[in-house]
Amino acid sequence: MTTDLNQFPQLDKTKFEQRGIQLEIGVPVTCTVSIGNNIAAGFGDGTIRIFSSGEKHKTLKVHKGVILCMAKDGDNILTGGDDGYFLKISLNGEINEITNFGSRWVDHVAAHNGNLVCSSGKVVYYWDKNKKEPKSLNHDSTIGGLVFDAKGRRLAVSRYGGVTIWKKDYSNKWKSTKLDWKGSHNKVSFSPDGKYLVTSMQENVLRCWRLKDKLDFAMSGYGSKVKSFAFIGDTSYLATSGSTDAICWPFDGEGPMGRKPICLPYIGNKQVTFIEPFPDEKAIFAGLSDGSVFLSQIENENNTIIIRSFTGSEVSAIAMTDDKSSIFIGDMNGNTLWTSIWDQ
Amino acid sequence: MTETNKQVPVTVLTGFLGAGKTTLLNRILTEQHGQKYAVIVNEFGEQGIDNDLVVDADEEVFEMNNGCICCTVRGDLIRILSGLMKRADKLDAIIVETTGLADPAPVAQTFFVDQDVANKTKLDAIVTVADAVHLSSQIEDHHEAEEQIAFGDVILLNKIDLVKDENIEVVTKRIRKINPFAKIIKTTKCGAPLKEILNLDAFNLKRILEVEPDFLVSDHDHEHDDDVTSLSFVSDTPLDMEKFQNWFEKLLQTKGQDIMRTKGILDFKGENDRYVFQGVHMLMDASPMGKWPENKERSSRLVFIGRNLDTMNLKEGFEACKSE
Repeated sequence: MTTDLNQFPQLDKTKFEQRGIQLEIGVPVTCTVSIGNNIAAGFGDGTIRIFSSGEKHKTLKVHKGVILCMAKDGDNILTGGDDGYFLKISLNGEINEITNFGSRWVDHVAAHNGNLVCSSGKVVYYWDKNKKEPKSLNHDSTIGGLVFDAKGRRLAVSRYGGVTIWKKDYSNKWKSTKLDWKGSHNKVSFSPDGKYLVTSMQENVLRCWRLKDKLDFAMSGYGSKVKSFAFIGDTSYLATSGSTDAICWPFDGEGPMGRKPICLPYIGNKQVTFIEPFPDEKAIFAGLSDGSVFLSQIENENNTIIIRSFTGSEVSAIAMTDDKSSIFIGDMNGNTLWTSIWDQ
Repeated sequence: MTETNKQVPVTVLTGFLGAGKTTLLNRILTEQHGQKYAVIVNEFGEQGIDNDLVVDADEEVFEMNNGCICCTVRGDLIRILSGLMKRADKLDAIIVETTGLADPAPVAQTFFVDQDVANKTKLDAIVTVADAVHLSSQIEDHHEAEEQIAFGDVILLNKIDLVKDENIEVVTKRIRKINPFAKIIKTTKCGAPLKEILNLDAFNLKRILEVEPDFLVSDHDHEHDDDVTSLSFVSDTPLDMEKFQNWFEKLLQTKGQDIMRTKGILDFKGENDRYVFQGVHMLMDASPMGKWPENKERSSRLVFIGRNLDTMNLKEGFEACKSE
């Protein structure tokens, strides 16, 4: 990587924009998933677009309304929509309905090893890959997010008042434990080593639990809601949006308690709205509220390059292909960029 | 609140069971041709709504962790409104129908508290449908009925064809005692002109200057202790800004649970601008609103709606804010 910080204000188009494909779809990009060397992006009009290197992107109309969430199930794409449908879509465009909740939205989806989950309202539905009918996991309030741990043994479900962790016991029965903290919890994630659980809250704060002893603590100081966060590499950092800097909390050793985060600043005082990790480079892509996207090395704040210049619309999606060759960027106005990361 | 022109107006329809909310909703949906509405209803609400885009909500209320005990918001609304803002088709308006027993405060507070909601949508007005036949007894028996009157920007006093004229008078007085700034429209079958219900911009501070509440209503008979009442104050002597801020901040902090709504236009000593504010419980929106008109007397006016107002020494507190 090179330091282009001094030249970018004069640039009309970044080199990534020059060599990539830019589209103006006019509808918000709501979610993405990377499958091999393809990126599937979901939009507010119910379409998905599949970007693959070297060929023209494919557009599929799959939902009647907004695609609210996406996950990957092997080589397939799972989507949930505000039309109540939970769908499985193959890369060549074959659409299978898993279920349909009518006027209830499918808010969250996830998958692990062929087992599928989605949430609608207060209920999580779990489809064991060997069974046809789903198992319902009930909660007292609406679900804000759900995620499997790396091994797929635990399913964490965030809600009002904390997180419920579901696990199957030796007799294959679902058992739950609760982590309580007052307020509304949204996105939830395990650290890659499974030792910590993090949620972003309605207030401008993250809540974290150390799972071995349920010790909990806050990561605060944000100017706005933390909509996006991601662990980098093997639990070395948690990079977060919600401030004019990308805030990276250290999760090595004894964790972030009592330690200061690394703050990566961007020019123009815009809020960071999206984070995508680039583990091999110990770096992050940070998308800002004006549509610009930067790539920064966490431990070297001078090593920041601009990937996309401003569009005037909040970045709502960044996704890198599994082989780390290409990147997709999308915003709330539907401006997208699909480009290779490396110079030829 | 930024990007005013892009914010989608949200009208909240509230009212006790059987008052006629669904009748009003269906009138809005059938009479406003060519408008794209999203309607958010409660799954336990009355059925039979004729619209393409009806979203089921759960009326889930939770407390914010901001040290403010009465700051409850509707979590489901935050989720649904952000989802609706991702749609390809642009909405002309959103209507939220609450259940008959809902407290309107968390709905209103949601628009003060959530940044994304406030950027993309705006609370247009709270419209309360009241049953002229039963309102008096409902107010006696259910605090929710009283709260819905207290929070209304517009109150549709419905079913007046079933009530004698003198009784309409009594009910109207009862409403006025609770809420001096609401506009009361008397209807049968909710037959009010829709322009008096939609696009009112009632939560815009500028509107407080245009539609001045009845600031001189105050007749303080002693009511039951937990009745919702209103008090208003006027001062021709300019106020001291620092004194006022200290008093008012502390008042909302300590009594914000009982104080449901506040509105005011303030004349501060040494300031050329009119200061306008409004509050819902502890949350407040305030701003200077341009210079005082030259041909008009300057005065400060302040209205409170809430419970136990007579225990808060409001008059003394307000008087003490006057500049020497």
